[in-house]
Amino acid sequence: MTAPTPAPDRVTARASGRVLPSPVTGQELVLIGVIALLWVALTIFTPAFLSASSLQSLLVRLAPVGIMAIGMTCVIITAGIDISIAATLMVCAVVTAKLLTLSGMGAVPVILISMALGCFLGAINGLLISYGRVPAIIITFGTANIFQFIGLRIFNSQTVNGIPPTLGFLGPGQAGRVLGVPYAFMLMVVLVALAWVYLRHFPGGRHLYAIGDDEQAAELAGVNVRRHVLSAYALTGLLVGLAAQVTIAGGTTTLDQSVGRGQELATIAAVVIGGTSVMGGRGSVLGSVLGALLVQTVATGVTQLGWPTQLANLFVGVFIVVAVGADLIRERYARTSV
Amino acid sequence: MPTQPPASRVPDGITRLSLTGISKRFGGVKAIRHADLHVMPGEVHALVGENGAGKSTLIKILAGAEYADTGVINIEGKEVTIKSASDAIALGVATVYQEAELFGQLTVAENIFLGREVRRGIRIDWAAQNGQVVKLLERLDLPASYATRKVETLSAAVQQQVSIAKALAEDARILILDEPSAILTDLEIRTLFAAVRRLTDEGVSIIYITHRLDELFEIADVVTVMRDGQTIGTYPVKGLDVRGIARMLVGDKYSESASNRAERAGGEPVLQLAGLGSRTDLHHVDLTVDAGEIVALYGLVGSGVAEIASTVYGMNPVTAGTITMDGKALSLRSSSQAHNHGIALLPANRKEQGLFSFQSVGFNIAVGNLPLLRKARIWMDAKRESSVASDMIKRLAIKTPGPKQAVQNLSGGNAQKVVLARQLVERPRLLLLTEPTHGVDIGAKDEIHRIIEELASEGTAVLVATSDLTEAMRIGDRLIVIRNGTTFTEFGPDASQADVLAAAAGQLSAEQERALALKDAS
Repeated sequence: MTAPTPAPDRVTARASGRVLPSPVTGQELVLIGVIALLWVALTIFTPAFLSASSLQSLLVRLAPVGIMAIGMTCVIITAGIDISIAATLMVCAVVTAKLLTLSGMGAVPVILISMALGCFLGAINGLLISYGRVPAIIITFGTANIFQFIGLRIFNSQTVNGIPPTLGFLGPGQAGRVLGVPYAFMLMVVLVALAWVYLRHFPGGRHLYAIGDDEQAAELAGVNVRRHVLSAYALTGLLVGLAAQVTIAGGTTTLDQSVGRGQELATIAAVVIGGTSVMGGRGSVLGSVLGALLVQTVATGVTQLGWPTQLANLFVGVFIVVAVGADLIRERYARTSV
Repeated sequence: MPTQPPASRVPDGITRLSLTGISKRFGGVKAIRHADLHVMPGEVHALVGENGAGKSTLIKILAGAEYADTGVINIEGKEVTIKSASDAIALGVATVYQEAELFGQLTVAENIFLGREVRRGIRIDWAAQNGQVVKLLERLDLPASYATRKVETLSAAVQQQVSIAKALAEDARILILDEPSAILTDLEIRTLFAAVRRLTDEGVSIIYITHRLDELFEIADVVTVMRDGQTIGTYPVKGLDVRGIARMLVGDKYSESASNRAERAGGEPVLQLAGLGSRTDLHHVDLTVDAGEIVALYGLVGSGVAEIASTVYGMNPVTAGTITMDGKALSLRSSSQAHNHGIALLPANRKEQGLFSFQSVGFNIAVGNLPLLRKARIWMDAKRESSVASDMIKRLAIKTPGPKQAVQNLSGGNAQKVVLARQLVERPRLLLLTEPTHGVDIGAKDEIHRIIEELASEGTAVLVATSDLTEAMRIGDRLIVIRNGTTFTEFGPDASQADVLAAAAGQLSAEQERALALKDAS
């Protein structure tokens, strides 16, 4: 940047890397292109797609996955994974629903309680992974079952009925938007922007990349690895607690035991499709949100075209395989180009 | 001048293995200029030489991993060509490397017969296979029950014996043991020696590579000395002593070994270790490093020299003694705490412990110093980060187009400088280096030494742990020899390499003995 480099060298420098990964990676550009193509195609084949209500509902449904994907991106950048978030979402959602219906609490305390609860559950994962030194997939597989048990106990075999519209401002209805833009979506955008800046421009964010690249080297460079890993899982839990609010706001007045089901896979899919390496050390929240948007677009498109919904699974599966394949090819290329 | 070595042994009788006029070049570097080696049936033939003398290349040529440019190999009087590892095995030449190349999840018998399973029809004949293994184990005096034990449940020493058994199963008549004792405890070495003697009684010839000169006198019949890519000569071990071999190893180099640092800033003690022990191989380490001083630690592999730096850096729990920094006792539980005390560590293995391979040169320099490079103590100052990286690239003469370059594209020496640069962004109070120039080319080596010296002149206390004697002699204001996890003895700048080598092998000069006795008495 500051040091002038001779012209022939500059070409190699640009071709082979940056102090920071560039603000928008190749994979993100590809995703933007694919999403744009899909939107054009869907507009042509189903005129309803581009209607305000259709887009608004798409964006509200995007929000919870997008918010959780922020945390998941941080976790996967450290070469970890959290498959317990669906169960965490269920616990936070049912606690929120019960608080809203039984105590009639206001929105702010409910949101704070849910986020604190999620953060606590995430911190349990983080503690076991960073201090117990057990692989993240094993720990979170275990805690997923435990959290699910807790959630189901709180449900007590009954759906929660008559949830008041306290959280309506996060939902798809009229209360939930200004100038046609849903608050939930704006909340997600703000959080993504904050996370993007944090990961790139704050020491803590850089440390996450260093840990995922090489944990031992990070430790020796003086990075407090355990604290950072713990924070990544705690943050994920906290964001899941927030996503639970949007999930409730986006539903009906009832909440049943199926809440959260499949959300961990949807979130991981979004992150992976967005170009974050499952081996750690590379990735961005922008990519993850684009991944989430792609998945949501496909789901909406398949529904609106009247195709069988299984086709959405097929497409998402193909995207994941292509994205991970691209990552592996990139890495192999990088390793052999030395 | 060293005393004249005894006359070179002339081969007589029928030699089992003869290497004559071997040379080998890698690119522009002559790894072996001229090597002759004659091994008799049933003898233990030691091969000694400093790092880079050409021992390992010679062994690789014998094992079929490399092919010599010139020279002739004769086995039992017949000229042979060894072009691959399987050629070597077919000719009865087997190599046991330092780290056993075994599959931990398989049993001893499965490992020994891997790829050559004894079959009955299409099935493996377990009974026949185990029977043969039991016989092999008996030859090595190992219990027959080991045949069906999983290899990972055995100690390093036993695993090594299993490797030897595997070599014997292939009917090896020439067995190459590559630094077998480096990873063994004293007791395990006894067991190894017993196995070696049993094999030589059966007529197997052993080529025994070692850095531990003292053990030659226990196990070897003859020794071939290599220096600078040449075999200097082959001598019966009887009639030599450690000091004599050490002199042959280093040649005339020892006279120009003194550290060439003109002046050094005298300073107060920065690091003091008193009776330091850790769960790794450290038992009792006493040393002091002053501000502005470079202290070199020299020791053989397994002496504990590599563990001292990591223990001071808070990576191994301290079990005995104290670490004092600037007069205050330190008890570190993690490396980040050490980092916060102004201690920096250049790890031994830069690939696994130093570099973030996905990232740029700039990222690699800045990481670990990020809080320093913040704007308003909050977020990263991209300009400063980039200029610090550029400064470091200039100061350390890192050959790269700029901080944006991917670190993967750098050569070993430049990669090492990047890891070193990270430690220098904030001048450390104490810099710990382990094998700072391992696998680095000569030019980069000189530059790294120059950087270390510069840093010391600015007042940093430097501790360099190395198994490269020339480096230890050259860079250290003082040189401390580590042996069996203790500080064995200390040398000033005018020490001779032969004395240091002898000390690392456990032999002190008369003068040092006297000094030690005085110290013990007081």
